[in-house]
Amino acid sequence: MSSLLLKTLTKKEEIDRIIRDTIDEVLVLRFGRCTDTVCLQHDDILAKSVTDVSKFAKVALVDVDSEDVQVYVKYFDITWFPSTVFFFNAHHLKLDSGTADHTKWVGAFHIKQDFIDVVEAIYRGAMKGKMIVQCPVPPERIPKYQLLYKDV
Amino acid sequence: MATLEDSFLADLDELSDNEAEMDENDGDVGNEEEDVDMDMADLETLNYDDLDTVSKLQKSQRYIDIMQKVEEALGKDSDGAEKGTVLEDDPEYKLIVDCNQLSVDIENEIAIVHSFIRDKYKLKFQELESLVHHPIDYARVVKKIGNETDITLVDLGDLLPSAIIMGISVTSLTTKGSPLPEDVLQKVLGACDRALDLDSARKKVLDFVESKMGSIAPNLSAIVGSAVAAKLVGTAGGVSALAKMPACNVQVLGHKRKNLAGFSSTSQSRVGYIEQTEILQSTPPGLRARASRLVAAKSTLAARVDATRGDMSGINGKALREEIRKKIEKWQEPPPARQPKPLPVPDSEPKKRRGGRRLRKMKERYAVTDMRKMANRMRFGTPEESSLGDGLGEGYGMLGQAGSNRLRVSSVPSKLKLNAKVAKKLKERQYTGGATTSGLTSSLAFTPVQGIELCNPQQALGLGSGTQSTYFSESGTFSKLKKI
Repeated sequence: MSSLLLKTLTKKEEIDRIIRDTIDEVLVLRFGRCTDTVCLQHDDILAKSVTDVSKFAKVALVDVDSEDVQVYVKYFDITWFPSTVFFFNAHHLKLDSGTADHTKWVGAFHIKQDFIDVVEAIYRGAMKGKMIVQCPVPPERIPKYQLLYKDV
Repeated sequence: MATLEDSFLADLDELSDNEAEMDENDGDVGNEEEDVDMDMADLETLNYDDLDTVSKLQKSQRYIDIMQKVEEALGKDSDGAEKGTVLEDDPEYKLIVDCNQLSVDIENEIAIVHSFIRDKYKLKFQELESLVHHPIDYARVVKKIGNETDITLVDLGDLLPSAIIMGISVTSLTTKGSPLPEDVLQKVLGACDRALDLDSARKKVLDFVESKMGSIAPNLSAIVGSAVAAKLVGTAGGVSALAKMPACNVQVLGHKRKNLAGFSSTSQSRVGYIEQTEILQSTPPGLRARASRLVAAKSTLAARVDATRGDMSGINGKALREEIRKKIEKWQEPPPARQPKPLPVPDSEPKKRRGGRRLRKMKERYAVTDMRKMANRMRFGTPEESSLGDGLGEGYGMLGQAGSNRLRVSSVPSKLKLNAKVAKKLKERQYTGGATTSGLTSSLAFTPVQGIELCNPQQALGLGSGTQSTYFSESGTFSKLKKI
């Protein structure tokens, strides 16, 4: 339902275009399937916060099932759905949330305010020129996972 | 036009007959006097026994003439409106103006008759005058009560609201009045009749004016309705008089002052005849004040148009009425729905630093104290003292040096008002720790009974003994240590 409000991207050119075209705004790309329950919860939160954040962020969904997009899935090393990647002016920003992987946000957000906080933190850091920002979400609400590297 | 003139001339011829008729209609009050001029009796003539010395209007020529014309005009069908270039030239208009003037005169006359009745009736029932304000109502009530001593036998239900009837019955039990002698009673009843006659005549005149109002002032009647328009023009004394008034005066034309004792006048809204218009009756009460101002303003404009006879078809008036209606509707529509606002861009709005007395007081607590200022400065040519001596440790600067102007330097800034707790702690420390206690203070107290008595000076100061353990002592930590 919420995917009706958010743009869903299926082709590589679309993704390229949107990354190039968002200027001075945080670009939030969600990689996932629209059928997964966790994805649905995540999408719901994203859809609710789109208007609040609209002045400094843009949100788009990437459907992980199309073949074009597999390039990106491999590039960002996305294995768990949903994963969220943040861009600012075509730069990929890293988020230190206390987990192992800083390049993306894995899992769903618990509350809308968390998502808004993260986007604001990324915006502030990016405006200052930082490539990595601290995550403002308290650790209880950060989804935990184990990072397996080649089955280790 | 010709027929009207002829009828006027005919009226003049029939003068004497009319007078005879009017004489018969008069009440049977005292002497009948011939009077020539129609001046109102002076209210200063207190010594009157006779209604006719007071109220001469009904016999005056003018009154008779105009009443006759009114009756005639009410009877016959009015021909088409005379379109004179100036309103004042139209003879019908002149009649209307006369009627207006007459209605005002009748009203004054009613007031005079009312005071006559009141003065006579005071002997019987003094408080009635303060209970029933309206002169016509008063006359009716007096007529009904007559010389009756027991008011409960009199049925006043159709004349007055029940609250006032109750008031009347209650006060009648305690009134100091006595029944009137027969002749005075007759005079009073006659005066009541006269008052009621005048009232009905006034009504007739106003009805006539109202029916003609459409041709006299079409724009004004389009806005407020012909009845209210007639009343307004009547009170103002003519359409041009109404046009010359500012709108705020038009708003309160006809306002009845009902300031009963104990009721404040702020709860009354200052609206006059305009309150009776259809427009105002249909607006919700919250918007009445605004609407009355609007209607008064637009009706003044319409009156101005009518005074100059600029528009005889009434189109202007209808347009103004439409405007009023639209405005009142606009006031009543609900406010637009709230849109959800997006959050502002982070760090785009700089933080507003606040100033003011509170901030200044807060900053004073951390300000540089006098002591520190003195320590920061040095005298030229003399080495400063230091805490460890010989230039080691902290330098004392101007502190303690002879020749500095300051007699006393406090470590606490003088403007600062200390908390009670902090002040007490400071005093304690100062007293116990300082080497500068005056040598003249004595721990001995001389009491007349016991002789010399040792007292603890700290207790005198209110600091308590140093070992005194209070639950809330700031200096103490553990109050009781018990070995288990």
